[in-house]
Amino acid sequence: MRELLVQLRVIRALVLRETRTRFGQYRLGYVWALIEPLLWIATFGGMYLLLDRPAPNGLPLVAFLATGIVPFLLFRETSGRVVPAIDANKGLLFYPLVRPLDLVAARVLLEFATHMVVLGILLSTLAVLQGGVRIDNVLVLLTGLLLASGLGAGMGLVFCGLSVFTSSAERVHGPLLRPLFWTSAIFFSSDTLPEPARSALLYNPVLHAVELVRDGWFAGYHPRDISMAYPAVWVLVLLFLGLTLERVARRRIQLT
Amino acid sequence: MIELRDVTKIYPTRGGVNVVLDGVSADFPPRTNVGVLGANGAGKSTLMRILSGAEQPDAGRVRRRGRVSWPIGFSGGFSGSLTGIENCQFVARAYGVEVDEAVEFAFQFAELGDYFYMPVRTYSSGMRARLAFALSMAVDFDVYLVDEVTAVGDAQFQKKCRAAFDERRDRSSVIIVSHSLATIKSYCDRCAVLQGGKLHHFDSVDEAASLYEAA
Repeated sequence: MRELLVQLRVIRALVLRETRTRFGQYRLGYVWALIEPLLWIATFGGMYLLLDRPAPNGLPLVAFLATGIVPFLLFRETSGRVVPAIDANKGLLFYPLVRPLDLVAARVLLEFATHMVVLGILLSTLAVLQGGVRIDNVLVLLTGLLLASGLGAGMGLVFCGLSVFTSSAERVHGPLLRPLFWTSAIFFSSDTLPEPARSALLYNPVLHAVELVRDGWFAGYHPRDISMAYPAVWVLVLLFLGLTLERVARRRIQLT
Repeated sequence: MIELRDVTKIYPTRGGVNVVLDGVSADFPPRTNVGVLGANGAGKSTLMRILSGAEQPDAGRVRRRGRVSWPIGFSGGFSGSLTGIENCQFVARAYGVEVDEAVEFAFQFAELGDYFYMPVRTYSSGMRARLAFALSMAVDFDVYLVDEVTAVGDAQFQKKCRAAFDERRDRSSVIIVSHSLATIKSYCDRCAVLQGGKLHHFDSVDEAASLYEAA
């Protein structure tokens, strides 16, 4: 019990420190976290307008895109920040209190908080513009976001473990995530896809996380075959793999 | 108090393996300052990291009672991109001590002036060591692990460190590794010599000195 408290204290100290290193070097850091989703919303929103097509299921276009891009970025950024988490902060392992997994946990938490704020800003701006907001099911929305974060953490941890053995792991990570951008229902709804594309894309766990966020946000939007259990199993498998790799790699993490 | 039992640490090298610690057993009792002498490359820093818990032994057991510091010295710990004060805030939070007090104490003790508010990467190695020293004093450990302290700062700063340790003598102890006999003589009650992966114990510093100098 006491050890748990110590670990929580360490993670809190790490999160506060990370806010400085993640955003601090140039003040644009905080703004960029908001600008990137805005750019994507503008891009895809512009395409919808140019093609003169309404958003799927008659949903409000900007909110539809915002609920797509933010959970995806949460997944992508979490994974991307976790991969180098241990290597970048090796120096901190000099303090015996700091365990390698604390470094990972701190980054996961910070990304989650950041994207919650981004989503909050985007959707409350919309609410002000439209005069009011209703979240259909907060629990489903939150589950979607947690799954996106968990998938990112699991994926990142696996690659973080692999990167101890081969330096190419870090290089493969980015390109490997790129197809997911186009297949995670960010700018389309899984329900409007023709078969067999729909069934194929349903294998992508990130799509489930994204659609869950929308399912929770919009009343009356319930795409078929979206499950909480499926991406949750992915999270467990990835975390199990990642933690096993970390245990094997631990001896190889040298301080000097 | 720290106990080592049959601690072995092996590093892989290009030509095979390097056995840095070969079944080392030792007791570091409370309120007893112990010095560990060893030539460069004898494994002193490895021993320190294992005593602190930052590194795990490949075999054997380490038991600690009380709060043990990180190895205080020139290397490690600080993030170059963060300022001195930010590094202090991190350590204070992680170790659960009052942040403002610790920062104030470290500022006064380290005597870095405006450099306290500059990124640590702009520090000289002596300044880093001074900050590390000041910070460890702000946390109040039961056991201080000091790695090659001899060259920290000028004579005046060394006197200050000495005074700080003397003041804490009844509640904390110091374990110093060094290749300088003079430092260990002035600080320690007991002494050991690290040689060929083995730790040889001596009750008096003078006995250790004769072996060390003979080698």
